[in-house]
Amino acid sequence: MKEWTKFSVLAGAFLLFYFAPMDAPIVISSLSAGMTLLQEYARLHVLTCLVPAFFIAGTIAVYVKKDAVINLLGPATRKSIAYPVASVSGGILAVCSCTILPLFTGIYKRGAGIGPAVAFLFTGPAINVTAILLTGSVLGWDFAVSRLLAATTISIVAGLIMSVVFRDHDGNKGGNGFATGMAGDVPYSNFTVLSFLFLQLAVLIIFSLTIPSFLKAFLVILSVLAIVAIVFLKFQREHTVEWLEQTWDLTKKIVPYLFVGVFMAGIIEVVIPQEFVTALVGENSLPANAVASTFGAFMYFATLTEVPIVQKFMALGMERGPAMTLFLTGNALSLPSMLVLFNVMGKKQAGVYILLIMSLSVVAGWLFGELVP
Amino acid sequence: MTIKVLGPGCINCKTLERRTLEALEHLNLQAEVQKVEDLDGIVSYGVMRTPGLVIDEKVVWQGGVPTTAKIQELILAHETRASQP
Repeated sequence: MKEWTKFSVLAGAFLLFYFAPMDAPIVISSLSAGMTLLQEYARLHVLTCLVPAFFIAGTIAVYVKKDAVINLLGPATRKSIAYPVASVSGGILAVCSCTILPLFTGIYKRGAGIGPAVAFLFTGPAINVTAILLTGSVLGWDFAVSRLLAATTISIVAGLIMSVVFRDHDGNKGGNGFATGMAGDVPYSNFTVLSFLFLQLAVLIIFSLTIPSFLKAFLVILSVLAIVAIVFLKFQREHTVEWLEQTWDLTKKIVPYLFVGVFMAGIIEVVIPQEFVTALVGENSLPANAVASTFGAFMYFATLTEVPIVQKFMALGMERGPAMTLFLTGNALSLPSMLVLFNVMGKKQAGVYILLIMSLSVVAGWLFGELVP
Repeated sequence: MTIKVLGPGCINCKTLERRTLEALEHLNLQAEVQKVEDLDGIVSYGVMRTPGLVIDEKVVWQGGVPTTAKIQELILAHETRASQP
């Protein structure tokens, strides 16, 4: 079966290149728009945003003490702690998308229950650190911070509603909590790890400031020196190697898809008629947000590719509200992920969850469009 | 000895399985290596961060891919524990 898939992909590519009218104006302008956007990303976002962001994600993967966070999602934790922790833990625990479902199932069946589990399930993909940072770099920091706040709030509200609706299904289904303390957690003080994380974030933020370039260079060099100092003076060699490996691993996983996504986003701007976009999502109304929400829910975006695509939709006239809505459902839901949800949660719970996320995203996107001009 | 590799089937879990087989080969030990891919199976061991490694029903590692040398260490540590009365 797999060999057949490969064959059909190759055959499809062959037919495409065989028959495509390469000298037609629409093809030429699409290709050049794709290339232009790739150049824009290469010049504006790769060194100043993506590289630091991958290092930050690598830091979170290696240095942040995850067992401590996971224990806060255990069966004994008070709800008033479990919900907020679950709503932000997506950004800390779910550096790789394949870790989300085991964690969700664990929190649901052996831990704090369905509410916090749902909150985690939503923020896991929705507040990916690199995605938030790239959003800030491309669309502005008001957008990035609002995206973060909206995702966190929606996750808590959705979790609370789910736990009320499915009260009877809840309850610890036995088991003795989580197995923790096995691996990974590093022997450094919270202060060291936090300063390390903060310094890397500082590099990224300094790059985005509008200050004289000599000052910018000075501050960046200063932060980088401090980072290097921590690496050599505080951290053991094996952890530094792991940090670099994780960073490189994430880069390998994400960058190829991102570049394909950027190229396609460039093409979107040429191929999709502007009137079509303005008619559907050109204003911050509830129907427009509902269109964005539905599109985001069914469409699959590889990590980060939602950023260039939303950017180009906005260039075609998409309003800020629907753009935010698209961000919120785009990462958290897709047709493949919905099918998995139906399997894991059961039909009824998955259906309610999907509808909840879609409608809460509409509300949040609409509010953003109204309140943050 | 039965060794189970817990993980939903992402690249990390496959790496862990490969390294476990390598470790056994280095140690010249025989063991049955199974993969546990269904979520309920993974969660029943209390493993939250995949991939996880279980030797004779005891979780010995989770939350990352250990080096082959580390896996050898884990297997040996288990052997010593098991041989004690």
